[in-house]
Amino acid sequence: MEGLLAGNEDAVRQLYARYARPIFTLGLRLLGSAEAAEELTQDVFLAAWRKAARFDPARGRLSTWLMTIAHNLAVDRLRRETGVTKPHLVLVDEVPETLSADEDEPLMERDAAIRALESLSDAEKRLLARAYFGGLTAREIAQDDGIPLGTVKTRLRTALIKVRRANQDKEWP
Amino acid sequence: MAVTCLGVRELLPELAIGVLAPAERDEVERHLRWCAGCRKEASELGQAAATFAFALAPVPVPHGLGERIVERVRHVAGGPGTPRRARTSAASIVAAMVAVASLGWGAAMAGRAERFEDRANRAERETAEALERFVTQIQNLVPPGQDLPEEQFHLGPMVPTAEGQGGGAVLQLVSPNFLDFSMVIVNGLDPQATNRLPYRVQLLNVAGQVLRAGRIAELDADGGAEVFHQFANKDLSGYSTVRVLDADGVVVLTGGIEGNPSGP
Repeated sequence: MEGLLAGNEDAVRQLYARYARPIFTLGLRLLGSAEAAEELTQDVFLAAWRKAARFDPARGRLSTWLMTIAHNLAVDRLRRETGVTKPHLVLVDEVPETLSADEDEPLMERDAAIRALESLSDAEKRLLARAYFGGLTAREIAQDDGIPLGTVKTRLRTALIKVRRANQDKEWP
Repeated sequence: MAVTCLGVRELLPELAIGVLAPAERDEVERHLRWCAGCRKEASELGQAAATFAFALAPVPVPHGLGERIVERVRHVAGGPGTPRRARTSAASIVAAMVAVASLGWGAAMAGRAERFEDRANRAERETAEALERFVTQIQNLVPPGQDLPEEQFHLGPMVPTAEGQGGGAVLQLVSPNFLDFSMVIVNGLDPQATNRLPYRVQLLNVAGQVLRAGRIAELDADGGAEVFHQFANKDLSGYSTVRVLDADGVVVLTGGIEGNPSGP
């Protein structure tokens, strides 16, 4: 990060080598085209360079920080393009449950992430996917499902806490 | 709007997932600047939400994307020592300054409003840590081969006058090589007293000369605001007094900036 703060190109390359694939993958899944995903990936690394001084390792992992930037930029872009909250929806079965046998370089983050998601029920996975990949707010989900807003908020919180607990004791970079 | 810890925590799952409405997101993030407990919760939920992204089956990135990114960063970064570089550095310092001043105010509020000694002590520790990070960040901002001495940055507190309330802090960069700037953060002004808006921020030197350093058109729910002003054609040497005036010209906050060198 110190290299990134100083605008060091090698630092950008090192970050790229480690995190470009998951960021590009998230962009492709959220935005739906390789072109948009590439723009997003560029924007994420540029934002990381600009915001490097704000990164505090005591408050979270570098990987989480980068992925949060990516997700926020993607959701903001979709909202700008649609004018309101995003109608885009990713099917739940697009959320992988097992490692593919033909993955030549399975990331440590992915392995840990999949194991953490195993702590969720199918309904919880579906709910989080609708919010995280579908960009639906708790209010929108409550309206779609005809259930109280408070119930959706509680379920979202419960699901995230389950993942958080599953993540604990795992050593991510 | 949620300004209490209880209200903020209700919104943290949606913040973590990235679907909070922009207005609510701004409100929550302002709270997180000074509330360590909610910030920890937000960090942990954020990590949990990011798990979903990492669980996706990775796809190959387009050929040459890495070099295109490096080229774009290089273009935006500009050459070392250019005005563009100075602006970027200032923006980074502003972010650190916001953290420092917000935490300072959090400490004051913890001691005055709730009088929980342990909370105040914790806030003070966080302030000290933030100040340490602030100094480190300034040092890190020096481009390789260049010298941007720490002594070119000057920090000072702001206190209320008899007619005012609240507090604040001011940061200045006074540099022979970079564009000078001032950053003023206020907190605890009366957000209900809209008739006192807009507030004006001024810098003064010993000769009584006044520089306009910004305008506060609105306050947040905590009576806070930030004003950043970069001076393209003005040397801030000697402008070591800062004051905030209300719409009637009444000074409500004042402060001194230690270490600001004497003007020419």
